[in-house]
Amino acid sequence: MMHSSRLTRRSVIKGGLGLALASTALTALSLPMPARAAGKKVIIGAFADGGLTPFKQKIIPLAKEHGFDIEFLEDEYGVTLEKWFADAQSGAGQYDLYLLDDPWVPQFGAANVLEDLGAGGIDGSDKDWIGSMIDMGYWPPQQGPRVKGFENAKPTLICVPFVGDLQTLTYRNDVFTGGAPKTWDEVIAKGKEGVAAGKIKYPVVFRGVSGNPIVTSWYPIFLSFGGAFFDDKWNPIFNSAEGKASAEFFVGAMKQNAPSGVVEFDSDQEGAAILGGEAGAIIQYSGNALKADDPAQTKVAGKLDFGVVPKQEKAIAQMGIFIAGVPKSAPNKANSIEFLKWYVSAETQAKLSEAGSIPVKRSAFGIAKPGNRLIPVALQQLDAGALPRPRTPDWAKVEELLGIELNKALQAGSGGGAALDTAAKQVKDYLTTAGYY
Amino acid sequence: MQGATQARRYRLQGAGLDLALPYLMLAPGLMIVLGVLVYPLWDGLRASTKAYRYGSPVADVGLQNYVRLWSDTQFLNSLWVTVKFVALSVSVEAVVGFALALFCLHEFRGIRLLRTVLIIPMVITPVVVAIVFRLIYASDAGMLTALSQAMGGGAVQILGSPLKAFIGLVVLDVWEWTPLMFLILLAGLQSLPHEPFEAARVDGAGAWRVFADLTLPMMRPVLAVAIVLRTIDAFGTFDQVFVLTRGGPGEATRLISIYGYDTAFKFQQTGYAAALFVTIGLVVLALAFSAIRLLRRVDAS
Amino acid sequence: MSTRLARILTTIFILAVVLLPIYWLVSTSLKSNREITQEGTLYPHVPTLDNYVRLFTEKQFGSYLTNSLVVTFFSVAIALVVGAMGAYAIARFRLPFGMERKVGLFLLTLRIIPPVVILIPVYLLMLSLGLLDSWLGLIATYTAFNVTFCVWMMESFFREIPVDLEEAAMVDGDSRFGAFRRITLPLAAPGLAATAIFAVLVTFNEFLFALALTATPRAMTMPRGTATLIGRIDTDWASMAAAGVIGALPIVFFALLVQRHLVRGLTMGAVK
Repeated sequence: MMHSSRLTRRSVIKGGLGLALASTALTALSLPMPARAAGKKVIIGAFADGGLTPFKQKIIPLAKEHGFDIEFLEDEYGVTLEKWFADAQSGAGQYDLYLLDDPWVPQFGAANVLEDLGAGGIDGSDKDWIGSMIDMGYWPPQQGPRVKGFENAKPTLICVPFVGDLQTLTYRNDVFTGGAPKTWDEVIAKGKEGVAAGKIKYPVVFRGVSGNPIVTSWYPIFLSFGGAFFDDKWNPIFNSAEGKASAEFFVGAMKQNAPSGVVEFDSDQEGAAILGGEAGAIIQYSGNALKADDPAQTKVAGKLDFGVVPKQEKAIAQMGIFIAGVPKSAPNKANSIEFLKWYVSAETQAKLSEAGSIPVKRSAFGIAKPGNRLIPVALQQLDAGALPRPRTPDWAKVEELLGIELNKALQAGSGGGAALDTAAKQVKDYLTTAGYY
Repeated sequence: MQGATQARRYRLQGAGLDLALPYLMLAPGLMIVLGVLVYPLWDGLRASTKAYRYGSPVADVGLQNYVRLWSDTQFLNSLWVTVKFVALSVSVEAVVGFALALFCLHEFRGIRLLRTVLIIPMVITPVVVAIVFRLIYASDAGMLTALSQAMGGGAVQILGSPLKAFIGLVVLDVWEWTPLMFLILLAGLQSLPHEPFEAARVDGAGAWRVFADLTLPMMRPVLAVAIVLRTIDAFGTFDQVFVLTRGGPGEATRLISIYGYDTAFKFQQTGYAAALFVTIGLVVLALAFSAIRLLRRVDAS
Repeated sequence: MSTRLARILTTIFILAVVLLPIYWLVSTSLKSNREITQEGTLYPHVPTLDNYVRLFTEKQFGSYLTNSLVVTFFSVAIALVVGAMGAYAIARFRLPFGMERKVGLFLLTLRIIPPVVILIPVYLLMLSLGLLDSWLGLIATYTAFNVTFCVWMMESFFREIPVDLEEAAMVDGDSRFGAFRRITLPLAAPGLAATAIFAVLVTFNEFLFALALTATPRAMTMPRGTATLIGRIDTDWASMAAAGVIGALPIVFFALLVQRHLVRGLTMGAVK
C-alpha cells in the first residue's frame, strides 16, 4: 500500500513535470509575437504613473502611425532608477529611452552614460521650450552651482523634457469663494471659516511620511517663504531664518489645520482627503489633481478648482517633470533620437496637450482645447515661479536625511527649526565624505 | 579497508580513474561554486576597500569604509531594527510553533487538513506573502479597514505608523514561518522515546510537570537547532520588507538588507555597501558558529 | 467532550488564521479597483476575471512564468547532478589533508551566509560577463546556490546507505562510479527527491537576485514580475492581488502535491 501510493504520487509528479515542460514549450512558442510592423523600433522604459496615461493612450498610437514601433516597458517607481542606471552604466543595451524623474538627471549626467542630444539634432535653445524645463536637461547645469569635477565642463543637452508636471494648488471653490487663496494666511483663515461652516473638516492636507513625501510637501512652503537650499558651494543653507520660519509654520500651523494622521500620510491618503471632500486645499502634482473632475473618483466633483500656490514672499512651486534620455548603449539609437525629435515638435506637443498632459513647449499650452483645465493654470504657475530640486547626483540621500528630521519634528508638532539644523549638519557631513568641498 | 561503521570511507587505492574519481566528482560542483560565489565574494572584498562615485571606483581607501560604518547612525539604526525584528519574530515563532506541535502530536479529526494547510504560508513566494499582508494593512483598500468600516469605524492605519508597521512586519514573519518551526518541532517531538512519558503517566504526573521536566529538556537540542536555523535566515529577510514597506515609514522597518541594498543601488555607494555586507556576513557567521559549538555541547550533555 | 470541542475550535481558529488572508487576496483579485477602494466590500459584489486577463495581455505575466519555469528547471537539474556527485565524493572518499571534511565545511559556510552579502559582487560579475537580464546569468547564479545545500543535504542521505552494497557490486565487476549510479542513487532516491523539491521551492521563489540581475520580461522571473505591480503611487490593487494569486499558485500546487517529501527535506538536519 505504501508502494502503490508512492507510485501514484510519483506518476503524478512525473506527469506534472511533463505538463510543466510542455506548457513552457507551448507558451514560448505561442507567445503572441507582437505583429512587428515595418516600423522603427524604440524601447521605452517608464515607471508606472498616472501622468503618463495620456501619452500611453493617445500618443503611442499616433507614433505608430508615424512609423515608430514603440515597446513600452513599465515597472514600479521604486526599482526603475537602479535598473536604468545599471543598464546605462553596464552598456547592457536593454533600453533605447528612459523616461526619468528629473532629479535623476545629475546622476546619469555625472556618470556620462547618456547621448548628447544636442549633437543629435535637438535644439535646446529653441525659444518655444519652457525655460525652466529645458534647463533640467543640461549637464552640467547652465546656471547654478556645479558639483566638483564639472566646474569647467561644457553644458551638454543629455535629456529633453518629456511630460511637464509641477505642483499647483487645488482648492475648494465653495470655501475660497474669491478664487484661489493668495497667501498662506488666507488659506488658514478662510479654511477655518470653511470648517466652521461645516463644508470641510480641515483647511489643508499634505504628506508627512518621512523621505520624499514630506520633503515634497514642505518644499513649496520653503520656497514661498524665500528659502534657498544650497549656496554656490553646496553648503546647505536651508536652515536660514526663512527656512526655519517655513519649517515652524509647516510643523506648527499647517499640522494643526490638517487631519490628525497627516504625519503618516502618503499620496493615496492626501488624495483621499481632498477628493473625499474633507480638506480645503492641497498642493499636489497633476496626477492626483486630474482626478478632481471625475465623479467616479471624487465626491466633490465641480467644487475643486486649480490655482497658483499661495505665497509668503513668493509663490514658487516645485517642478517635477518626466524627462527623457537616450543611453549611449541604446540598441536602436537613431530611431530613438528621431522619435524624440518628432515627439518634442510643437505639433506633437499640441496633441499631448489635447490628450490632457502638461506639455513642454510653450506654444502647446495655448491651444484652443487643452485636454484638461489644469494646463492653463500650470502655465500661470510656471510663469509665477517653479523650481526643480537641487541639481546634484546625491539628492536622494540628502532628501532622505532631511525627510527623517522633518518627520520627527512633524510628529512632535514643533521644533522645525532645530530639525533643519540637525539635517543641515548631517547633509554637510555626508557631502564632505562624498568629496563636495 | 576494514571497518564496522556505516560511514566508512575508501582509502585511495588503485590507479587511473579510480584514483581520480573523487576529484572528478567534486570538480564540477566546486568549479561552479568557486566561480559564481567565491570569486564574487573575493571581488566584493576588494570593492569594499574602494570609494565609489557615480558607480565607478575612484580611490583606494583601505579599511575606511569599515570604520565609517560604525559611526553611521543609519547603519547602526538598521542593525538595531534587524536585531529587534529577528529576536521578536523568532521567539514568537518558537513558542507558537511549539504549541502547535504539541497540539498536533496525537492524531485527531482534521489533523491531516491542518497539517496540509499549514504548509501553505511557508511555500508561498515571500513577495506574494508581502502582497497578502499589504492587502490586509492598507488604509484604503485593506481588510482591516474594510472590517472596521463594516462595524462603523474608520480607516485603519498600519503601514504609515512606524511602530504599527514594524509590528505588522513581525506578524507577517510569524504567519509565514511558524509552520516551519512547527514542522521541525513536531518531527522532534515524534522522535522522542516513549518510556519516560509512560513512566511519568504511571507515576501520575500532571501535564505541566511532564512538559517542564521531560518534554522541554529532551527537546532542547531540536529547539536550539530550529531557532538557530530560523535566526540565520531571518537576518537575511529582504523580499517581504521590500514589498511591504520598502523600509519605511522613515526607518522603522529598514532592515540591514534593505539599507545595504539602498546604499548600493539607490545611493550608488557600491564600495561602502560591499563593506557593509562583508561586516554583516562575518557577524552572522560568528553567530552561527558559536551557536553550533553551543549546540554540540548541549547535544553531548 | 469539552476537550474535543476545544480541539475542534482550536483547529478552526488555526485554519482561519492561515486561510483568511488568502481568502482576502483571492477576493480582492476578483474585484474592480473601484470596488476595492471606494466600497471596501467584504466579498466581491461584482466578481470579474478582468484582472487576470489583463495580467497576461498587458502585463507580460506569460513571459514571467516561462522564465521562472525554465530557469528553475535548469538550475535545479544541474545542481542535482553536480551536487549528487560532489556529495557522494564527500561522503565516501577520504582525501589527503582531510580535504573532504574541509570542503563540506566550506560549503556549509556558504549556505549560512545570508545571500544578500554577495549580491553586489555577483551583480558586478554578471555585469562584466554581459549576463545581466539573461537566462544564463540567473541559471548560473541559482545553480551555484543550489549546489551548496544540495551537497549538504545529499551527503547525509548517501551516508545512510551501507557501503557493503556498493562493494558487493564492485566485487561483481562494476566500477565505483557504476556502483554509484546503479546502487546508491536509486536507494537514495527519496532523499534526492526531498532535496530536489526543496531546491525547486527556493529557486522559484527567489526574488533578491532576480531583482538585481534582470530588467525586462526577457528574463524577469515570476516573483520579480509580481513586484512590478507593488507601486505605492496610484496603487493598482486589483492587479496586484491577481498577480499575487498567479504568483503563488504554481508553487502552492506543487508543494501540496509533494508534501511528504517536502516535510522530510525541511526537517532533516534539524532532527537526527
